[in-house]
Amino acid sequence: MREASRDRAKAFLTLLPSIILVAVFVYGFIGNTIWTSMTDWGGSGALATEPVKNFIGLDNYVDLFTGFLGGGFRQDLVNAVYYSIMLLAGAVGLGMFIAILLDRKPKGEDVLRTIFLYPMSLSFIVSGTIWRWLLAPQGGVNVLPAYAGFKPLDFAWLSSTGAILEFNWQNLFQVLLYAAAFVMIMVGLWGVRRDPRRAVLRWIGPGAAAGLLVWLFGDLLPQALFMEETHGFNLATLGIIMATIWQYSGYTMALYLAGFNGISQDLRDAAMLDGASEAGYYRHVAIPMLKPITISAVIILSHISLKMFDLIFAMTGPDNAQTGHPALTMYLTTFRANDFARGAAIAIVLFMIAALFIVPYLVSQYRQRRRG
Amino acid sequence: MAHVELRKVVKRFGSVEVVHGIDLDIRDNEFLVLVGPSGCGKSTVLRMIAGLEPISGGEVFIGDRMVNHVSPKDRNVAMVFQNYALYPHMTVRYNMGFSLKMSGKSRDEIAAKVDEVAGILELGPYLDRKPSELSGGQRQRVAMGRAMVRKPDVFLFDEPLSNLDAQLRTQMRLELRKMHMRLMTTTIYVTHDQIEAMTLADRIVILKDGLIQQVGTPIEVFEKPANVFVARFIGNPPMNILKGTFKVIDGRRCVAAGKSVFPVPAGGDSLGDGDPVLIGIRPDAIKMGDRIEKLPKEWLCRGEVVVSEILGGHSHLEIVVDGENELLAEVEGRVVAHPGEIVPIGFEFDRMVLFDPETKEAIR
Repeated sequence: MREASRDRAKAFLTLLPSIILVAVFVYGFIGNTIWTSMTDWGGSGALATEPVKNFIGLDNYVDLFTGFLGGGFRQDLVNAVYYSIMLLAGAVGLGMFIAILLDRKPKGEDVLRTIFLYPMSLSFIVSGTIWRWLLAPQGGVNVLPAYAGFKPLDFAWLSSTGAILEFNWQNLFQVLLYAAAFVMIMVGLWGVRRDPRRAVLRWIGPGAAAGLLVWLFGDLLPQALFMEETHGFNLATLGIIMATIWQYSGYTMALYLAGFNGISQDLRDAAMLDGASEAGYYRHVAIPMLKPITISAVIILSHISLKMFDLIFAMTGPDNAQTGHPALTMYLTTFRANDFARGAAIAIVLFMIAALFIVPYLVSQYRQRRRG
Repeated sequence: MAHVELRKVVKRFGSVEVVHGIDLDIRDNEFLVLVGPSGCGKSTVLRMIAGLEPISGGEVFIGDRMVNHVSPKDRNVAMVFQNYALYPHMTVRYNMGFSLKMSGKSRDEIAAKVDEVAGILELGPYLDRKPSELSGGQRQRVAMGRAMVRKPDVFLFDEPLSNLDAQLRTQMRLELRKMHMRLMTTTIYVTHDQIEAMTLADRIVILKDGLIQQVGTPIEVFEKPANVFVARFIGNPPMNILKGTFKVIDGRRCVAAGKSVFPVPAGGDSLGDGDPVLIGIRPDAIKMGDRIEKLPKEWLCRGEVVVSEILGGHSHLEIVVDGENELLAEVEGRVVAHPGEIVPIGFEFDRMVLFDPETKEAIR
């Protein structure tokens, strides 16, 4: 008994330095940032030795989301959402596709694997510069069709002002509710074959009802802004999305390839004998088995997309409003405009969004471990 | 239901030939066991029949169809793997219904089929569990169920019981036999365990180094092994093999091994006086106690017990005859013999097998 408690004390002492460091440098600083975001630290006296910091509550946040001057940040946020979705779909989809091709052991598989993984090893600044050249208006991608005898493209990859899927920020609540309804219906449709009753009662029904209610009574919802302000998917971010997918599909490929290699040959044989085609094997056996890998990839990539900074900086510079990103705006607001409180508020918003992805994952992991 | 035929089937991995032109005819409804030591090519033969391994030469027929170039999924065979190969992310229900789903059956049809087979295999309570939540024996039954729901032409088993403990293995062996009696589907079963082979098979095929050594019923391969390899491989403890010489003494045909002289009641017609032979005597053809009373007088002698292993139902004794020939005997458990004791023993010489010492083939 005494031995056990001594062991525990030793373990605690060993861990203590890292506990203290993490407590101060991670959680302490998060706390400090939260505190800063609730002050008015900024403006002309921000860099004084003893700057004035008054507690102003959530004013900075309210201003970011509903203020007259917050439009840029709101577009950045919308950009980040589209960017994340497209990056996830692109990098996971493409990585999985390449992994499936390589899993069939074509000639030169090892060389190809290195080639596909190589972009991962480049820094974002390097790949950003390369893609900036590739997407230049009069060079690279745009002149490719000319080699095949077609008219060269004239799309301004990084400076287009076009936007699609636009919505009015005033209707933010409606849009969010529609999105939630859409997600619920999709989840329901996905599970309808397994358990139709549950899918309808729990997902499709409520989802459709929510959608219908918003459609009928959406006007009664409070407006998020006092004026009309449209935001959408800026076409200028397409180039950045392409570059990120290029850089990260090799990484997801490596994840999936390792997973595929870990599946026993017997399972593949069993699926073949059960009548599954190659596609059927991947669809029904291999990819569902690699769900943990998909989840990890989604978490890691969603992180990366939320804090993306250097690639955008290298491709379009820091001040291109079309391709803005919250992380970039956070830096500019904090260190160029010296508006520390507002920068801290942006940081906390990003932190919360990241938590949205990670906390459910951690909770499910924790539950699984407790069950196992 | 279908018969399976292998004609001159060859398998090469690169430049190494592992199966050397096998001919085999497996009858409709038959339970055929391929047995042999590891590396003999038995699993490769099975995988070639399943279509999981391309055939390097020769032809494989399932029914009347040559299937050399038919993909596994179109051969209508079902296979049970050594490690079960259940889909870990699917429940038992989905594991069993997967092949039906792949063949486009309706959901009701799949459910009916799965429920029926689950009933037979007593898997009903486990249908909604994942394989990781099942015991080894239950997983084995799911793997069998998965094969059964399809009503395949041929069942293929690749050492399906080798991951189970001894007791469960005996039980599953019985279940397999019952399943075959119920379904009467042509079955090809690979094992390295000769007890499984003996208990399950209608016919046994003994393979060694990619060549068929013998095909026959369990009794045939046990009593009339085609060569020394089969004689030693089938039966536990293995057959005693003594070096000897064929002799004709006073007009009576016999074999001499050192000082011992054993009569040859039948067979070996081609042998002449002085021909060298290998003498094969099954341990259970050596009798002791009251069992020797029924044997002819000239089949009896005395031997010294060197080691005795008492197993309950029967005992294994190492006996030295005439001071030089060591023989392993399997006698009834009631027979008590102590090391050092000299005891009367009898031989069932009508079960003796003679082999050519050069070719190691049996002399009929």
